[in-house]
Amino acid sequence: MVNIKINGKELKVEAGKLILDAARDEGHDIPTFCYQADLMGIGSCRMCLIEIEGQKKLQPSCITPVMDGMSILTDSPTVVSARSSMLEFLLTDHALDCPVCDKGGECELQDMVYKHGPHTGRHAEPKHRHHGKDYVLSPVIIKNSNRCVQCTKCVRVCSEIVGVGVLGSIGRGIHQEETSFFKTYLDCDHCGNCIEVCPVGCFMRLPYRYTSRSWDLKSADSICTYCATGCRVVIEERDGLLVRSRAQLGVGLNSETLCARGRFGYDIVNSDDRLTTPMVKKYGKLEPATWEEAFGAIRKGFRSSSPARTGGLISPRMTNEEIYLFSKLFKGPLQSNNVDSSMRWSPEAVEGFAAATSMTAGGVSIFDCMDSQSVFVVGTQLSDENPVVDYIVRRISNANGVQVAIASSRGMKLDSCASQTLRHAPATEGDLLGAAALLLADKDAVRFAGNADFNSIKATGIDTLAARSGVSRSEIEALVSSFGSSETVGIIAGTEFLRFPEGSASLALVVEALRGAGKKVTVIPVLDRCNQRGAWEMGAHPGLGTAYSREGVKGLGFAGMMNTASEGKLDSIYIVGENPVVEYGDGNFARDAIGKVGFVVVQDTFMTETAALADVILPGVTFAEKDGTYTNQEGRVQSINRLLPPPGDAKRDLEIISTIYNIFSGTDDVPVKKSAGIFAEIREKVSTYAKVDLSFNNEKNTFNDLDNKESLVGGSSASLSMPQVTGSAASSLASDGHAGFTLVTGNHLYHSGRLSLRSEILGGFIKGAIVEISEEDADRLGITSGEKVTVAGSRYKAELVLKTRKGSASGVAFIAENYNDVPVHKFFRRGESVASVKIARS
Amino acid sequence: MSEKCKAKLINFVKKSVFADFIRGLYITFSYNFEGAMTLKYPDSEKWIPYRRFRGLHTLNKNSEGKELCVACELCSRACPTDCITVIPEENDAGRGIADRVAKVWEVDLTRCMFCGYCEDACPTTAVRLGREYELACTTLERGTRSRDELLLPQPVPEALTGGVVAKARFIRSADGIKVVAELGKVRQRKL
Repeated sequence: MVNIKINGKELKVEAGKLILDAARDEGHDIPTFCYQADLMGIGSCRMCLIEIEGQKKLQPSCITPVMDGMSILTDSPTVVSARSSMLEFLLTDHALDCPVCDKGGECELQDMVYKHGPHTGRHAEPKHRHHGKDYVLSPVIIKNSNRCVQCTKCVRVCSEIVGVGVLGSIGRGIHQEETSFFKTYLDCDHCGNCIEVCPVGCFMRLPYRYTSRSWDLKSADSICTYCATGCRVVIEERDGLLVRSRAQLGVGLNSETLCARGRFGYDIVNSDDRLTTPMVKKYGKLEPATWEEAFGAIRKGFRSSSPARTGGLISPRMTNEEIYLFSKLFKGPLQSNNVDSSMRWSPEAVEGFAAATSMTAGGVSIFDCMDSQSVFVVGTQLSDENPVVDYIVRRISNANGVQVAIASSRGMKLDSCASQTLRHAPATEGDLLGAAALLLADKDAVRFAGNADFNSIKATGIDTLAARSGVSRSEIEALVSSFGSSETVGIIAGTEFLRFPEGSASLALVVEALRGAGKKVTVIPVLDRCNQRGAWEMGAHPGLGTAYSREGVKGLGFAGMMNTASEGKLDSIYIVGENPVVEYGDGNFARDAIGKVGFVVVQDTFMTETAALADVILPGVTFAEKDGTYTNQEGRVQSINRLLPPPGDAKRDLEIISTIYNIFSGTDDVPVKKSAGIFAEIREKVSTYAKVDLSFNNEKNTFNDLDNKESLVGGSSASLSMPQVTGSAASSLASDGHAGFTLVTGNHLYHSGRLSLRSEILGGFIKGAIVEISEEDADRLGITSGEKVTVAGSRYKAELVLKTRKGSASGVAFIAENYNDVPVHKFFRRGESVASVKIARS
Repeated sequence: MSEKCKAKLINFVKKSVFADFIRGLYITFSYNFEGAMTLKYPDSEKWIPYRRFRGLHTLNKNSEGKELCVACELCSRACPTDCITVIPEENDAGRGIADRVAKVWEVDLTRCMFCGYCEDACPTTAVRLGREYELACTTLERGTRSRDELLLPQPVPEALTGGVVAKARFIRSADGIKVVAELGKVRQRKL
């Protein structure tokens, strides 16, 4: 602590704190352009100049730390005139085309000149013009360098946070221009963070270009619904069309950052293909109908089916309230435990993953995880699946010197800030972690004596496990020793453990061994659907009730339902927001099976392939048209707010589910219109949600001190055991025979499931399906990136474009699960996510 | 005779010869020999207002024929009755002075109070309140005027100072009523 004086007031502040932060803490307003809490300070804009008594020259407060005895003046006449002069200088070379500029009305330069600036300029020299017309840098970014104030926030956010580093500064002085290499089209993540940080209208959104003014927009706070990171966004509409989704500095865990999906995937809401009226099958044909007819058909359809032969599948994109009521509907009035929310994964995989990542222990903040001395990322393609978590890991690990180890089979952007990268064979997370667990448990053998999982991997032996995973023993030893040298360990474990459930047991062993060695271990599960964790906690799982409590009778998971249906033994099924015909492992099987179900109700926002098979279609709404809460992967409960009315005759999903609930319960117990009542019930009935605080939602802080632990779910008393998993990826690969490449899948950077395919903006980023292999493999095959190749497996063959990825393990091919033209599941056996394929130039 | 009686007598004589009545009639009658103050509007005359008059909005073009409006929406923002709607769009073909032009520029005259704030707010002098004041209409749709119509050249040229009465023709047709001023034949208005 040091003693300083700010504007005459004596203060004690932490040593090393920036003068800017100390002054802002005290409530003094110091304007800045180039300063941003999360970025490296460069002190270039000179807006934050302050006077330190005894020093002749003014000092930039954003890079000057406090020192003992300093007397700082933030509003002295010299400082005020310096600020005003800085703005005058900026305006001498600013385009001043505010009426045309998209930023007009929300521009930091405008606000600053209005508040601090001279209202007349004395410079009459001609301005330097970088270029005439605005130029396009990407399908979503358009650039006008004439407006630049040279704060270089765009360059820093691109390299320090996003990690792609495609922007740089060209030239010096007024000729300085922040742009791409040779001003060419950017080959980047199209995340648009440069647009968000730009204080002026230099980087602009192309889709939003010239559509509106900031004051025309009506906005609502919402959550991005593409992955489970739970980024807070503000969605904005004009004349009933959603025109923008943006992040705000100091709001939510993502602060000002978002990925391409979050920032540009909003346009699904405006799609013309939305379902707007209920449809009922009459004489074998779907016809538009009234809601009364639809509900009447549902009443008749479900009444005539027996409880054990009724099934429900709800999308993990629905809100907690909807999922809670949906599982209550099934487990209550419909008396069936056949409820599932994760079509792609088996119920056992879910239990194992939840147990291994200690989800029952309550929510864990990502910032707590990143507070650890070493962080281990495993089983997730973090940079593609959860880009904002990737940003957080990169930012904090660079700032605090956290040791990051990454184990994955494909190269990723985050590799560049990792101290160790382990490239294992696909689907061998379990073997790799098993070997690590054996090494860790070396000294603690007594602890694991009775553990069946441990004994089975011990019988296999470290060297066999290491050989299977394709990682050398010394690398695994290096990983374990990095754990050994840190007091606190954070583990970020992802969806590969759900795809290959045999890995969860080893993950649990590693966590237990680390905890046994007295280390503080924080595990963050990383998921790819926005409310997947909430869905499990609301009891949309055949074996688990709310908050992971064990159900008496185990119901059927979605795979079980499909098997029963294919035998003609399922009377009715209610599918909300999912499209199993294209997304389930074996699409044709699902199509046949659903065709055999007596009565199918589909509630969705679009006319999907599954909806085409339905007897009743109920038009639901998207996130922009409803209220509710989502629980993200960390267990953070956040709310969304409605901005738009439902299109046409569509109703809010909660209204539909509660009407159906009331039909079958025979009461009017459930409020039809409001979600607040249901959330109150969730608080009462689901113990872990009792103390969740939603009030932080719209709180904003200038210091980017974003963590909010009050919104994390509490711990549950339920304890999950590691379920037995049958079959493994290894055995399935062995039966395929080795054909050269092992094909794996996951989410593409620009897509999440099939919903984002409806977005025209996201669709503009990639044209057609892509298969990804490592650079070395491509060289070996003599194929270059961009060529057409044929990928042939034993079950399916497809032609797609090849793209190489730096740093991927050899022999790994990747096709994202999001393409309509090449459904990757056709390569796999039903219920599996790995196959052996051959790649050749076509 | 007292003063009081004298006044009474004079008053009696005045009343009996209708003196006040005749004086009143004299003023009224004298107007018959002066020219008329009123305009013969709409049948044969039309008032051309001064340039400062605030009538129907006009959207202007520059000397090269490019639209001055850049659809910045400041007029719409400044409007106290919220009667202006602007929706911008991008146009690189040189329609306007910038690549931002108005896709929609509409003014709802039934709400407008002709305060001229839009004119003040406009950074490019694209919108001005013109000299058109014949705004009565029989349908509500006609109360809204949009860009295409407002961009048309004004019947009264900028050079004409106004403040004169022009000869006019009154045309009644199926499209409505129109009074066409002949700007060559003007007279000063009597004051």
